[in-house]
Amino acid sequence: MKGTIRTAAVAAGLPVAAFILVAMVGEPAAAAENFKIGMLIPMSGTLAPVGKQERFGFELAAKEINESGGILGRHIEFVVEDTESNPQTAARKAEKLYQQDKVDFVTGTVHSGGTLAVGQVAARNGRLMSTTVSYSTRITGAACSPNVFRVNAHAGIQANALTAWLLNNVKGKRYLILAPDYEMGRNATSQFSNRIKAGGGEIVDEVYPPLGAKDFSTYFGRIRAARPDVLLTMTPGNDTVRLLTQMKDYGLLGGDMLIGGAAGAVTRGNIGAMKGAAEGFLTAASYSPLIDTAQNKAFVAKFQTAYNIKPDLFAVDSYSMIYLLKAAAEKAGGLEPGKLRKGMENLSWDTPQGRRTMRGADHQAVLDMYIIRVKGVQFDVIGKVNGDEVVGTDECERF
Amino acid sequence: MTKLAQNVVVKGVIRAGGLLPSALCRARKMLSMPRGGLQAASLTRIMGLIAVAAAVVLPLLVGQFYIRLGIEALLLGGLALSTGILLGFVGLLSLGQVAYFGVGAYISALLFLQATGSFWLVLAAVVICVSALAAVIGAIVIRTRGVYFALISLAFSEVLHKIAFNTVALGGSDGILGIPAPRIGFAGIGQIDLRDDGQFYYFALGVIVVIYFAIRRILATPFGSVLSAIRDNPERVPYLGYNPFWFRLLAYVAAAQVAAVSGMVFPLLRGYVSPDLLSFETTTRSLAMALVGGLSSVLGPLVGGGVITFMDSLVSSLTERHLLVLGLIFVIFVMTCPDGLIGIAARRLTRRERK
Amino acid sequence: MANWVGYLHLVVVPQAIDGLIIGLALALVALGLTMIFGLLGVINLAHGELYMLGAYAAFSLTAVGIGFWGALFVAPLIVGAVGGALERFGLRRLGARHDYAILSILLTFGASLILRDLVQFAWGPETHQVEAPIAGIVRAAGMILPAYRMLILGIAALLIVGTWLLLYRSPLGAVLRAAAYDRQMVASLGIPVSAVLTGTFVFGSLLAGTSGVLLSPIYAVFPTMGHDFMLLAFAAVIVGGMGSVSGAVLASILLAEVQSIASLWISPVWAESMVFVVMFLVLVFRPQGLYGRLGAA
Repeated sequence: MKGTIRTAAVAAGLPVAAFILVAMVGEPAAAAENFKIGMLIPMSGTLAPVGKQERFGFELAAKEINESGGILGRHIEFVVEDTESNPQTAARKAEKLYQQDKVDFVTGTVHSGGTLAVGQVAARNGRLMSTTVSYSTRITGAACSPNVFRVNAHAGIQANALTAWLLNNVKGKRYLILAPDYEMGRNATSQFSNRIKAGGGEIVDEVYPPLGAKDFSTYFGRIRAARPDVLLTMTPGNDTVRLLTQMKDYGLLGGDMLIGGAAGAVTRGNIGAMKGAAEGFLTAASYSPLIDTAQNKAFVAKFQTAYNIKPDLFAVDSYSMIYLLKAAAEKAGGLEPGKLRKGMENLSWDTPQGRRTMRGADHQAVLDMYIIRVKGVQFDVIGKVNGDEVVGTDECERF
Repeated sequence: MTKLAQNVVVKGVIRAGGLLPSALCRARKMLSMPRGGLQAASLTRIMGLIAVAAAVVLPLLVGQFYIRLGIEALLLGGLALSTGILLGFVGLLSLGQVAYFGVGAYISALLFLQATGSFWLVLAAVVICVSALAAVIGAIVIRTRGVYFALISLAFSEVLHKIAFNTVALGGSDGILGIPAPRIGFAGIGQIDLRDDGQFYYFALGVIVVIYFAIRRILATPFGSVLSAIRDNPERVPYLGYNPFWFRLLAYVAAAQVAAVSGMVFPLLRGYVSPDLLSFETTTRSLAMALVGGLSSVLGPLVGGGVITFMDSLVSSLTERHLLVLGLIFVIFVMTCPDGLIGIAARRLTRRERK
Repeated sequence: MANWVGYLHLVVVPQAIDGLIIGLALALVALGLTMIFGLLGVINLAHGELYMLGAYAAFSLTAVGIGFWGALFVAPLIVGAVGGALERFGLRRLGARHDYAILSILLTFGASLILRDLVQFAWGPETHQVEAPIAGIVRAAGMILPAYRMLILGIAALLIVGTWLLLYRSPLGAVLRAAAYDRQMVASLGIPVSAVLTGTFVFGSLLAGTSGVLLSPIYAVFPTMGHDFMLLAFAAVIVGGMGSVSGAVLASILLAEVQSIASLWISPVWAESMVFVVMFLVLVFRPQGLYGRLGAA
């Protein structure tokens, strides 16, 4: 009987002892010198291509900053976690980063729902976070938080810039918007459609395929019937490849209809797979590698040497985030959440795409936008819009 | 009571139950008399007590994050248990228990956010809603068997996932944020404040322990024996006077309740619920937990819950290949020890006993 | 009146043809799945990943210069080999147990996770594309359809007919059907049953891989492509009757058409769920599906 008890204790207790061991071993060593940043990016799942570019941007910035002495003398150290393209996982990993790894700041979330959830975690842990990709307007609008910042252009900014250019430069006023049927897609659609209608355009149809739809040919009848002059798509990278390839197969492209859409639709990550189907695609984005400034040229060369690929907006927005932290810390004289927040608000700083300002009222960055047209595998810059004109009003009422 | 006497009384009860027309009377007798020898009971009881003791001690040894991870492990373990009950004791592989987990989570989220702060009210709401839903769905799907049941349960959870994903009133793909963690009052005795991690942990542990012992108790009664009979030899059971349909249905509803109650507590941990809780990924993890812990025991999925949750946390911090690791675990466990960790433990212990 | 006809002509019929094309490609996958179930009693949850592997193999083969047609021939062979390995070193090792059905599901499930992750590791998370061998549009009776899609129609139909001929008009097919009916009897006739089992799994994987190659120019190539296609394929197998060849083909076409036509009128998101509802109803009211078992059909 005693032997039984002993063996039972070992058998049932062994796994538990293992966790406890892991948990205790996992306790971080006191490393107060480094400024720890949680890089919470999708490394697996549908959003992984975005995470890849983000990581390059983050790491390049940190490398440069560390080589020149770090932030206020402290080196940047990343703790990288995979959101698995799943907001629940993102929230859990954020907790790990704040509570277990004791990071000072978390950044990199892509999924808008995930950003909101991580923002809530940040608030509960009294720390700050920022997104460098999410473009739902809610994040710095209806659901804004004093602990959440955004350095990239949201759907409203993109819509402002692109629709203004389109309405001024395209004769036809018939617009068709295609967006995946989920929060983000619907949010982006309303941003674009409101502005188009306000500017004298006509929305001839709104098409909502499911997120991750395989076959868009179902909608081509509608698209043909609507005879739009411009087709705007809000689909994410994977879906856009399918959409445009199939449109090309069906002969919908190459005519007079212009195609364009959200900044995430056609990026470095999927331009290769397009095989020419995205030719002429118009978008308003914060970045193109072809931006003609000395700073950008140097940046692109450095990026390409380090990672063998040209940077896209996700990389540059991430890169800019780290430099924002540096500038904010130096302005505020410290890295504690309260100081950092004060430092970031209303701060202007330089980035490869231009100068940005972090608006204090809603923690949304004000940045110049570039009208971009895809040519081959290049992202040609055909226009530039001033940041103040397109950033939109402050809709944040929570602080 | 001697074993002989036990057997006589139990057989008498079953025969009596078969003769008496009143179903209620039978039910009462079914649930009142535990069966089985002392030895089998004591072995698993000891393992259970050890596991509980270890779980009780855990928060005293680790930091805040791991306490919260432990809460998650307990609740997901509850979901895994729900799958394990159906598989191990009813012989039905359900790939869709997340549906009830999700229903419990969303009801809880909406009520706590908009209607009430009373835990007991929400619990009642969840139990009632899920009983109704599970009874209806169960009545339809119980008639299928084996792989058909597995796929139909998967389809059911996928449909619910789509509903949660596409319904704006449920928060859509962004989910619902800002769910407040309630204070739970026990009339007279005191209060548990779920905003405190330690209290939340012990509360979750308490919930799981109660569920665990309740399931064990139920399975040890004649009701449980009939279930085992239905699992092992379903054609014969009607000849003994039992209609397998009602037993299966009851077990199905019970399993749904286990998932739903675990799901009910889950959003309170981070104040956040989203359709991802209903996704195939969650099903994958719960299957892994049940498999690793032991499919045909009650303790197994719970132990598996702990192992997988902690291991997953560790693995995904070390490598991006966490899916690969999970897949390898599946393959290795299926090929070498399909009875899971508890199965290994049980076998080593009984081997020792025979010496 | 004219409007109705026009609507049918220009909207519904093209949609239906498209549904047919997708249905046939789906049928290739469902066919493999149902044969594996009929003969081995295994629900192959890794089947979607085998389909995905076909697409990735096509991508790599075309990238190194082997043309599409070469890829169409070689890629399925690679996938067949992977499937065979899964059966020989995985499922066969499970042996004959009373819970074989459950364990085989879990084993193939684990295999699917492994395959998915290995693919992402090897090819990266980005979407890739395979160029269609023919471009251009076919205009017939006022309808517009890409030439390549018609090609898929042709190839898939050929393969399905070929499979049917193999199963019902060849000695090998007779052996397969007999083994599905009564494995021990076949063994006692001196036929190496284990080779038959592995061969069936290989053939099923081959079909799935072919479908992957055929669909890759229109559906693109990415690591999660196996998943949703799988649910549809399972639905087709169930509706058609597990183990039934004609059932799998007909049900695939039926479900693809349901989804295709339904998305004309109800939100596409719910059109996908319609397929599940159909599957649900079939399982409840006619659980054996449209047809019987492999032996019978």
